[in-house]
Amino acid sequence: MTTAAHPRRRTIGAALPPGLVRHGGVLGVLLLIAVFTTSRSDVFLTAPNLLNVSRQIAVVAVLAAGLTLLMTAGGIDFSLGAIAAVTHGVTAQLIVAGVADWAAVALALTLGAAIGLVNGTVVTVFRVTPFVATLASSTILTGVALLVIGGQSISIGEHLGGLGFGELLGVPVLIVIAAAVCLAVGLAMRWSAFGRNAFAIGGNENAARLSGIPVVRTKLLLYTLGGLLAGLGGVMLVARLGAASPGTGGLHLELTVVAAVVIGGTALHGGSGTLVGTILGVLLLGVVANSLNLLQINPYFQDVALGTVLMVAAVANHLRSRRH
Amino acid sequence: MNAVPQARPAAALELTGVSKSFGGAAALREVGFSLLPGEIHALAGINGAGKSTLVKIMSGALSPDGGHLLIAGHAHSALTPRRARALGVSIVHQHRTLVPQLTVAENLFLGRLPTRAGRVDWRAARAQAARALADLGVEVPATAIAADLGPAEQTLVEIAREIQVGGRVLILDEPTATLGGADAARVHRIVRTLSARGIAVVYISHHLDEVLDLADRVTVLRDGRHVLTASTAETDLPSLVRAMTGDRLAETRPRTARTPGRAVLELRDLSAGPRLAGLSLTVRAGEVVAVLGCAGDGQTQLFPLLSGLRRPSGGDVLVGGGRVPPGSVTAALAAGLRCVTGERLTYGLVPGLTVDENLDLTGRGLRRPWSVRWRRMHREAAGARTRFGVTTIRPDPPVATLSGGNQQKVLLARWLDRDVTACLLEEPTNGVDVAAKADIHRLIDGLAARGAAVLLASADVDEVLRLADRVLVVRSGRTVADLPADRVSRDDLVSLSVGGTAS
Repeated sequence: MTTAAHPRRRTIGAALPPGLVRHGGVLGVLLLIAVFTTSRSDVFLTAPNLLNVSRQIAVVAVLAAGLTLLMTAGGIDFSLGAIAAVTHGVTAQLIVAGVADWAAVALALTLGAAIGLVNGTVVTVFRVTPFVATLASSTILTGVALLVIGGQSISIGEHLGGLGFGELLGVPVLIVIAAAVCLAVGLAMRWSAFGRNAFAIGGNENAARLSGIPVVRTKLLLYTLGGLLAGLGGVMLVARLGAASPGTGGLHLELTVVAAVVIGGTALHGGSGTLVGTILGVLLLGVVANSLNLLQINPYFQDVALGTVLMVAAVANHLRSRRH
Repeated sequence: MNAVPQARPAAALELTGVSKSFGGAAALREVGFSLLPGEIHALAGINGAGKSTLVKIMSGALSPDGGHLLIAGHAHSALTPRRARALGVSIVHQHRTLVPQLTVAENLFLGRLPTRAGRVDWRAARAQAARALADLGVEVPATAIAADLGPAEQTLVEIAREIQVGGRVLILDEPTATLGGADAARVHRIVRTLSARGIAVVYISHHLDEVLDLADRVTVLRDGRHVLTASTAETDLPSLVRAMTGDRLAETRPRTARTPGRAVLELRDLSAGPRLAGLSLTVRAGEVVAVLGCAGDGQTQLFPLLSGLRRPSGGDVLVGGGRVPPGSVTAALAAGLRCVTGERLTYGLVPGLTVDENLDLTGRGLRRPWSVRWRRMHREAAGARTRFGVTTIRPDPPVATLSGGNQQKVLLARWLDRDVTACLLEEPTNGVDVAAKADIHRLIDGLAARGAAVLLASADVDEVLRLADRVLVVRSGRTVADLPADRVSRDDLVSLSVGGTAS
């Protein structure tokens, strides 16, 4: 009875990100790999290399931010990589067709959001399991992505150069965008009713619905947001590569995104997740890939490493959640 | 301690001095229980007396904090459900556990289908199943799909399955709770057959007339303690009731005469298929009306119907004279109905979120704000916690870490800590300790005193008598009585709900 009246220690707000302690494991592994690679390669800790790594992971981070929020609400979207593939092709084709850069980008984002909304509708209105629904749309979109670019590489020349290679106060624009997205999603997960409702829905959908929380609307919004961010990721891809080509985005990007979120400790069954964890997961995967490159390890080990890290993280998460 | 007295025949199952507590709340204290081969031994006690904890210990689902467990004369300390089953101790739960898509034969031999040359020998499986069923007098075709069976038949098949794997001790947890008279008789018949073959049966039931009729001996628990073990030939219903309720004044309610106001909540001919048939009632402001039924009877339909989770097959719900659109959670909330579930972890709380955020959920659902203001949430929650007596050790822990009583108080506080015009409370003290129960009863008194119309759905006779002004008794979905609570006795209510004649 006395404890209820205790002054509450405030650990929220501008203090340490709440996830930093919780993610000690991922952080430790990340530092370990970084130290190891530094000791074996002179290139790793150089500014050009780190900038290169961060440009590569910027896209993953944008997609992973949307997926973190969605998975916290108990959803999943396997089509994010395919959405990015479609939008990166569409952006290139629009630009080649003479559409203004900004209009092409806006159309690509709208398209991404619209695809997300369709996913959400299939999941909420027709009650299809998210796994199946988004696997189906992923398959469709993979084909569509190839159709859009006719299976060929489409160069956009100097277009979107400011986005792909520009800098803002010395920081690459791609990273500024990724950071802004992560910050916005992170804040939404803590301070917005929308974000907190995602936690409630993922934690107990029945209870959330009975409390009057708009479950269907929130889910639609979550899938739409996921699609929008995937569309943004597609634009960032084409801007960075200067061309749309077959095999960009798609399944491999998707798996990396899902892996990053799971490594970050977001529960697959919903109800818990942090963006700090997801960012660490994205960083870890980026650093692992870069290390394998720098240490000149057979590139076929990339996937082996990705899968291994994912499995170890999943087991660790399971053990951690069982302890509670 | 291990020396078993030689004079008695070896008990099929024996517990001595068994204790168990959950998070500080003692569920069992030094309980002893013995079960002879071929005996039908009933276990009785009001809700929360410790019956289910005891049978969970017998069947290996829980391990006791102290005491000894002997199966066929051998002590077992680290029992698991699998080991218990291997030793011949099986439990058949109230909720049925057959695989619904498979046939009866497949269910009977689940994991042990007879094979020939590595292939399943379906013909042999069907023949063996038919033989096993006929042997126990179970008239169910072995080829039927489990989902197509009635509840009684499912229970019979489950019993047959457990006997088939070599069960020597069978624990039946309220097997007839949701069954009508004829179906219950079928279960009784198989229990007698088993007993005649030397199989010992632990029989849990709320229906005391059934206990007296069927069992050889009966053990009564109260507040986690052993109260009485007697031969049913030497005891009668009044003494069992006394043993169950004890000397403590059965929580008589403070008789401050409530003066009900205008009609607030009305149900008109509310139906849900065969499970609830034409329930009509009116709850006035400041009044508590209870719908009482046995576990699983029509009162359990009220929560899904009134909360908007499910659409009734007929009838209307009115709040303040206006019809509430059926099958819509939002409409029920907008009409001012506050429905509090009896299954707090399934339909009530979000276990992973903290106490304060759980308290905030209803307000967030109703007001639909854009942002969450944590500091204000904590401030408001602190008030609600104090008013509802929620105690926690850490400042704001996840609600899953709380005891059942505290979780229930969080749930009630979430729904009832504002101005309430009409509410449905389903089993408001389900699975909480005695102290929390008394607290919650006082909270509900206060709710009515502030002018709320309270509808109570319950299977707990004592709780209904403690809280309600008026009682509707439902049996097999039909309303069989509508009485003022001060003109009805406990035994009358028990008799009405179980289908006996009023004594």
